[in-house]
Amino acid sequence: MISLDRASLRYGPILGLSPTTFELPDGGGITGLLGPNGAGKSSLLQLLSGLLPPSGGEVRVFGEAPFRNATVLSRLGLVPEGDRLPSGLRADRWLRMMAELSGLSGEGLKVAVVRVLDVVGMADRGHLTFARMSKGMRQRIRLAQALMHEPELLILDEPFNGLDPEARLTLMALLRDLAEKGTRILVSSHILGEIAQLTDRILLLFRGRLLAEGSVPEIRQLLDRHPVELRLTGEAQALARWAVEQPELAALRMEEGAVVISVRSPRDILPRLQKAAAEGGLPIRAMDPLDLNLDAVFQYLTKDHA
Amino acid sequence: MPIYAPTLPPAPDLHQGQPPALVLMRFDFARLWRQKIGRFFGFAFLMMLLWKVARIYVDHLLQTNQAFRSVQDFARTILSQGADFQADLLNPASYLLWFMVALVGGGLVARDTLYRVRPLMYAHPVAPKDYLLAKLGFASALPFAILLPFALLPWLMSLVLAGTSGPVWVTAPLRLLPAMALSSVLMGSLAVGASSMAATPRAGIGWVLGLVLGTGTLASMIHGLTGLQAIDALNPILLAETWPQLFVGVEHPMVAWLPAILGTALHIGLWTFVAARRTRPSEVVI
Repeated sequence: MISLDRASLRYGPILGLSPTTFELPDGGGITGLLGPNGAGKSSLLQLLSGLLPPSGGEVRVFGEAPFRNATVLSRLGLVPEGDRLPSGLRADRWLRMMAELSGLSGEGLKVAVVRVLDVVGMADRGHLTFARMSKGMRQRIRLAQALMHEPELLILDEPFNGLDPEARLTLMALLRDLAEKGTRILVSSHILGEIAQLTDRILLLFRGRLLAEGSVPEIRQLLDRHPVELRLTGEAQALARWAVEQPELAALRMEEGAVVISVRSPRDILPRLQKAAAEGGLPIRAMDPLDLNLDAVFQYLTKDHA
Repeated sequence: MPIYAPTLPPAPDLHQGQPPALVLMRFDFARLWRQKIGRFFGFAFLMMLLWKVARIYVDHLLQTNQAFRSVQDFARTILSQGADFQADLLNPASYLLWFMVALVGGGLVARDTLYRVRPLMYAHPVAPKDYLLAKLGFASALPFAILLPFALLPWLMSLVLAGTSGPVWVTAPLRLLPAMALSSVLMGSLAVGASSMAATPRAGIGWVLGLVLGTGTLASMIHGLTGLQAIDALNPILLAETWPQLFVGVEHPMVAWLPAILGTALHIGLWTFVAARRTRPSEVVI
């Protein structure tokens, strides 16, 4: 569905996105585009949504270059960052215009407006002006305008900014529902928690470079410079004695009632740990991975590339 | 883990509607129609039109009614029927119309800049040239639509009341319509170009008024310093008033043909170029 081949973007002398290569397969699902402010997320989205041509390399969406390509643009929906909309306008009138710009007309247009307002939970509030809407409601209308023509690819740039927790959860549920129905969703954020809640599949950008692509465990496995940390809770002395005999051990530190071990290859050590605990030879009550989450992966990757 | 669905539902039937430029123009007209500013200017221009039509009717009465025989000579003096009278039919093309173009046109592009609407539009199958065409079309069609009854109604009334010997020439619309078209495109391009340089609709109004009055003042100053009358062609207000004079053949138009052509071409070209540059996709920020 999406493929970038050494695609880069320059704003004059400033490099917005370094030559980047990756592919997203066809079919539904959510992919998180993660990175701090200035990482190049918006640049990448501008390339994918056909707003700008790449300065170098090649961008393909649905097999074609998206820049000024009506065929591609009619198959994707974009929700840019921000929640400002012309205050005096009624949402349904605005949606009708956007639907017409997508090529809908007549009865199909009317049905699309009703359907999409229902999808975003605004069926009875479409007649309101934007001035009378909350931030969350405006964000839903922005999402609605991108869904009018039932796009196969939905691109959202920082959609959760400024939303309260309830609105966030509602929007996340809505995106999951769309993904289940077959829409491929690419959502950018600089907040790890949001992406972690939404999807396991991420593209990680930092300073205009794509650092990693894949699921969190997949990426974590590739970070062999950073051994995985496991906290084993139980009888600390006995656990430490067992741990030092393991060839994968990289580091060990004692805590009260627990021992934290760093291991290079958790896939090898975990079966042995499981076996020892099952045989009763290891006084362990719990085991917690400390850095197998997105936050840790992000920290390691950005530190390594800083 | 990501959730994959095997297939997508059938896509809706797209590419059935009107061209994007027409959709955007219709949207701008509908928005203006709902605004109070549209009603105010509608009333003001209607009053002016009624005054013109009433004047032709009074002229007709003075010409035909025996009771007014004593004032007929006086009427002939004050009710001119020459080229100046024909050109004057479009006199709303002066300050009130410019003011309306500034108020409405100033926000045309600036509003979309303020609310970041262009990225949304360009992410649909809308090319920058569609957007520009829509804005230029709306900003030019608006003054043209306002001027249209000023050219046609007095002509029609004159024709009905007095036939070919009425105060308005039979050929007046043939001369006034091209003049109106040129003046309207001049106004529209200047308004859109100025609006594209502004970040808010209010600033857009300021830009339009500033450019109109500023270029006019500049032209007057240079004229005063050099004595070169042709430089008045830089003044957009004078240009808009000159075109009807040129087309109906006024003896002493405010600006001659060649400077008027050059001045109008310069304004339309320059402001369209500015608007095109300022509404490129690279100018929008997601």
